Amino acid sequence: MRTHSRGRILVGAVIAALALAAIVPSPAGADETCNSPYMANLIKGQEDYLYVWALGVKGVGDGADKLVTIDVNPASKSYGKVIHKLSVGGGRGEAHHMGFTDDRRFLWAGGLDNSRISIFDVGSDPARPKLVKSLTDMAAKTGYVGPHTFYAMPGRMLVQGLSNAKDGGGVTGMALYSNKGELVATYPMPTTDGGDGYGYDIAIHPQKNVMLTSSFTGKKNYMRALGDLVKDAEAMKRFGNTMAIWDLKAMKPKKVLSVPGAPLEIRWSLKDGDTWAITATALTSKLWLVKPDAAGEWQAKEVAVIGDPAKIPLPVDISINKDGTGLWVNTFMDGKTRYFDLSNPEQPKQIYERATGKQVNMISQSWDGTRVYIASSLLANWDKGGADDEQFIRGFRWDGKELSPTFEVDFNKEKLGRAHHMKFGSKTMKAAYDLERTSRR
Amino acid sequence: MTSSVRRAAELGRVLAAAAALAGAVAALAGAVAVFSVDAHEPAAGAAPLMDFVPPPAGSYPLHAIMRAPDGAVLDLDGRRQPLRHFTSGKITLLGFMYASCSDPHGCPLAYQVFHTVRHRVATRPELRDRVRLVSLSFDPARDTPSAMRSYMAGVAPAAVEWAFLTTESPRALVPLLDGFGQDVRVAADGGGRPLGPLAHVLKVFLIDARGTVREIYTTSYLYPEVILNDIQTLHLQSATERTMR
Repeated sequence: MRTHSRGRILVGAVIAALALAAIVPSPAGADETCNSPYMANLIKGQEDYLYVWALGVKGVGDGADKLVTIDVNPASKSYGKVIHKLSVGGGRGEAHHMGFTDDRRFLWAGGLDNSRISIFDVGSDPARPKLVKSLTDMAAKTGYVGPHTFYAMPGRMLVQGLSNAKDGGGVTGMALYSNKGELVATYPMPTTDGGDGYGYDIAIHPQKNVMLTSSFTGKKNYMRALGDLVKDAEAMKRFGNTMAIWDLKAMKPKKVLSVPGAPLEIRWSLKDGDTWAITATALTSKLWLVKPDAAGEWQAKEVAVIGDPAKIPLPVDISINKDGTGLWVNTFMDGKTRYFDLSNPEQPKQIYERATGKQVNMISQSWDGTRVYIASSLLANWDKGGADDEQFIRGFRWDGKELSPTFEVDFNKEKLGRAHHMKFGSKTMKAAYDLERTSRR
Repeated sequence: MTSSVRRAAELGRVLAAAAALAGAVAALAGAVAVFSVDAHEPAAGAAPLMDFVPPPAGSYPLHAIMRAPDGAVLDLDGRRQPLRHFTSGKITLLGFMYASCSDPHGCPLAYQVFHTVRHRVATRPELRDRVRLVSLSFDPARDTPSAMRSYMAGVAPAAVEWAFLTTESPRALVPLLDGFGQDVRVAADGGGRPLGPLAHVLKVFLIDARGTVREIYTTSYLYPEVILNDIQTLHLQSATERTMR
């Protein structure tokens, strides 16, 4: 073996330490910036790929849902271009959300209509994801349908259903799978002590042993044309109005919080020591704060309005920055992207807004907050019609004052379908023992 | 030389260099407080903050997650044995490690937590003969049986079994990694060329006496108090089953 001088060893050690610092799991972190705290290998530098889970559109290509990979590294020759697309076949399944396993090697993605869960290998070749497994028996095995949130647990994936197989209503539950795709357990959403049984998002604060869930609506509503739905007063009553605090270790609900108007995405502050989470209510257009009071009792309270609630701007996705001081909020109906100063989470202040599309839904930001990505589609039957039915991924640079466009992929023009959820990929990690693994196959 | 052989040779050189660098980092950082003996619990170190009272043992279920995989391993004397000899018959806490790992949130943290758990189990007569710890290397090239013997030299004899195991080769190791769902990665540069030391998600597996994984812990949830409660929960469950038979 080559002998190193002391100076070279020191340099090497520093390099190794830096490499380690870049790849160790963060004990308190979440993502870039909304992944499970159990997820390792957060991308804190430049992301290379944007994975987009796109809804199939009848008559467009094979009409099936697709995982689309976009090169988003500005240093790349194919920056801003689609470099890979992978159809899961079987027609439109209502592609919606995705989530990485704890080791970021696999990406789970769900269809809200067909309840199929597609598992992609994104670790072997991050530029070219492979479909390695499809779970098609969620409804039969659990009674729940509409797999929505995919939340990494150690060695497992917790999947939040939106509805049930019996009546298509909003009463649902969560299904826990091993990372190999075997069902481990099911957990019904609370229907007593104020619980409405509805589900939507999951977010965990490990150091408090707390899991927080939110609530949306059932399949009969989310698969219905939005124009019809809003005219049906009875149907409009069937939206979630609660969040639930769970004992994470025991997986038992501890308290139901009243949060009217369909509280959707949940984001914990990622700042060390913070114990608060924030959510946006879709129908009432409010920001709500969830935190313990002075007595340690978990409470939820309204802390801000988003746009003009009377006009129902329909807040959808939110994205919190890495230190919990700022929050992006997309509102679907007016196509606006808003930024709230969260320095005082009790009193969020909107400090910026701009129209980023005729309809906007998901929003993701890089770890450092300087790159922001926006997707257009909400649900196949809720997206707008005609010329307003833009389907895109748009990249922006955020300098703290202004969002500046950087690239756009037109999903209509490229016949990719409706652009929904986004996750980041990186080529900087590769599996060890690839040769041994390959030779076994 | 074929491309695959070249790649193997390249990976081998990189991993060897990475191990040397990681060892240098460990030496520089003096990161070996983990080799303390069992007489006292180790300091908290890099352990995650625990700001809650865990639910009492036996008040919650621990579901069957998967069967622990089996395969050939090497003990400290270099004897080949089936892993199942170390994952059944007792409640087992198993973690993958490599001796040159210096990531404070990785193997050293697991080592520290294992010490704490072992110390506390040793004080519980009803548990100490029913619990085993297993540290299994995922770096067979460097963690030979003799290297593992050196690694565990600081571990004091105690009433609670702690097995240190390795494998003959990556070919023997990979099925165990895949069976447990344990990733091992190596950092790469922008061109995909390996750069530095091995990296992995720290996972610790709690396995019941029948060889079924019942809980998995990662860095954000690696609390000795929770692990002890889980061990006690499995013990209570098996005691109930024995009574019913």
